[in-house]
Amino acid sequence: MTRVLLKKYVNDAKWLLLACGGTIFAFCWIRVWIVSRLDTGRFKAILDLLPGDWQRFTPVDFEWLITYTGRISLAYDELIVVLCVSIWSIARGSDCISGELGRGTLEMLIAQPVSRLKVITVHSLVTIMGVAILAIAAWGGTCTGIYNTSVTEEILPAWQLPIPLPWIGAEVPIPFSTPQSVDAPMSDKVDVDVFLPATVNLFALGLMVAGFTTMMSSWDRYRWRTIGIVVGIYVVQIILKLVGLAADEVNWLLYFSAFTSYEPEAFVHIADATPQFAWSLSIYDADGHWKTWGPMAHHLVLAMIGVVSYLAAAVIFVRRDLPAPM
Amino acid sequence: MNGTTVLDQAVSESGDSLVTTKSLGKRYRQVDALRDCTLGVARGEVFGLLGPNGAGKTTLLRLILGYLRPTSGQATVDGLDATHQSVAVRRRVAYLPGEARLFRHMRGQDILRFFAEVRPEGDFRRSLALSERFELDLSRRVAFMSTGMRQKLALSIVLATETPLLILDEPTANLDPTVRGDVIDLVADAKRQGRTVIFSSHVLSEVEEVCDRVVILRGGKLVHTQDISALRRCHRIRAAITGAPPLPPVALQDQLDVRSPAANQIEIDTYGELGPLLGWLATLPLTEMRIEPIGLRAVYDRFHAPRGGLPTQADGDDQPAATGLRPDGSQDRKPGGPVVSHPGATRHDAGSPTPDDCLPAEGSSLSAESAGGRTGDDLR
Repeated sequence: MTRVLLKKYVNDAKWLLLACGGTIFAFCWIRVWIVSRLDTGRFKAILDLLPGDWQRFTPVDFEWLITYTGRISLAYDELIVVLCVSIWSIARGSDCISGELGRGTLEMLIAQPVSRLKVITVHSLVTIMGVAILAIAAWGGTCTGIYNTSVTEEILPAWQLPIPLPWIGAEVPIPFSTPQSVDAPMSDKVDVDVFLPATVNLFALGLMVAGFTTMMSSWDRYRWRTIGIVVGIYVVQIILKLVGLAADEVNWLLYFSAFTSYEPEAFVHIADATPQFAWSLSIYDADGHWKTWGPMAHHLVLAMIGVVSYLAAAVIFVRRDLPAPM
Repeated sequence: MNGTTVLDQAVSESGDSLVTTKSLGKRYRQVDALRDCTLGVARGEVFGLLGPNGAGKTTLLRLILGYLRPTSGQATVDGLDATHQSVAVRRRVAYLPGEARLFRHMRGQDILRFFAEVRPEGDFRRSLALSERFELDLSRRVAFMSTGMRQKLALSIVLATETPLLILDEPTANLDPTVRGDVIDLVADAKRQGRTVIFSSHVLSEVEEVCDRVVILRGGKLVHTQDISALRRCHRIRAAITGAPPLPPVALQDQLDVRSPAANQIEIDTYGELGPLLGWLATLPLTEMRIEPIGLRAVYDRFHAPRGGLPTQADGDDQPAATGLRPDGSQDRKPGGPVVSHPGATRHDAGSPTPDDCLPAEGSSLSAESAGGRTGDDLR
């Protein structure tokens, strides 16, 4: 019975999953290719033009952000990736109960000797597996990009004649030969493993959104209303985070936004710069004092919201009345 | 006894009943969708549910299936609590919803296979056979099927399931007359196999044809139980008569109501076998005599029709009027006709209208039959 349900839900979801997964995979791959085409130095020139206040909107230094690793890590925060994961999570979560109720198909399904708990569990299992596949697609696309692209770098000759500038006190190095362009595989510049914390963070985000949407779906009977409520709360959460980042006086708003725990580039930075903290709950300074929460704490915050929401959804669905289709 | 009858109470408490409800109620804020409903459905019985939209039929079915949590009372199927042992209950039930909606993106064949596989006792081949009988094109996706085709598909799923209890909520809606006939035949087959059927429909002729017993619901309350075999023995004789209406013989008085709706007209309602009556009728100066069965429509209209009186099956179509009660719950009477009451009415609601009751009493032979063969004394 579980196998039959599982098969049905996978069939129901496969096209959306393929579309979202394919988009994420392709986007992350292309993103790496674009990074390989643009010289890091030019990026620095662009970032130098930005006002200093812009730094507060990114959890990592601009200096690191213009590295190959930093720029690739931004893919996890790109609209397309977050949108695809959110679309999957909201579509599947809202379909679970209010979608089936609204279409009237839950009526015949629940008429079979299958418990409500099993219905919501199997449906949610497919959704969570889908979130995992999307997160893996993001990492897979990134890895594919990294292993299939190369970067061209200019290498200055080792022998240069320093010409002193009188009255200024500076020197101008004069190379003995023209700089050489060298192609190097991206994989020599970037370690794919540093993107795993961001991948887990993306999965945790999807789990949270899917769980919360399923919870809203479990008491509702109209899918459009479920989606409306979830999207509304989603937007409010994003606004809370942006406003919280914008000014120190309202920094406390960050505690009310779940998106505060979605910082994939920060976790890539930690994995890149301090690999020992890549999967830590806490980060400590050189003296061993607690500095801040580690990536794992943020993953767990998002995942716990998702899991608790799923549990609440199951309780609500098992106890609620199932109205006749309208 | 509030909201119940001796018969229902007896069936409900007997070990023979497959479905029982005891003081079952469902309240939505200020609205009572179902109130104090006590009934029993005997094993092997085809049990009809009648009432206009909003009367509480579907609420009752959903409570039995565990879709809704009762506000009061309890429903059991085969001794299992419908709320707390819902899965076990549904293992014993095949349910056709009033408006069966199936997965629109799936093809008919895939739908049949899914529902056959999701149930341990599901039978795909039987579903296929039924769909062939209904001349259903299984290669189409549900989204591209007509309403009638979807109903046939749902029937192929539900009727293929070999469960002790079959609950059909308006199974013949949207079907052509041929398939309607097939559905009625299949219900009769289920009965022959010893299965119990709860049959909800607005088509009174179907209910009368297929059911052993029906209950009528009004405003969320069970107001009447009717044994169909007893109903089949009820007739109305209409004739022209010269002279005053005669008094019936003493031996037949308990089985007759005689009235004169107009000058030189006579109407006689009979409640038993016609044979003993015919001899007496032959002695009367009657002309233009017509004998008509008093159908379920007449019983239904006592509770739901806009006008009173006792129409017979020949009086109109099967679709009853949905209104007709005065605000105080009383009902109009047929003009010119005296109020005739009879102890045989199986009444539930003290506040219900008091139309011409023409039916045998609880505990009489009809009640005993519908209670699985026990005698009237047993039922009391």
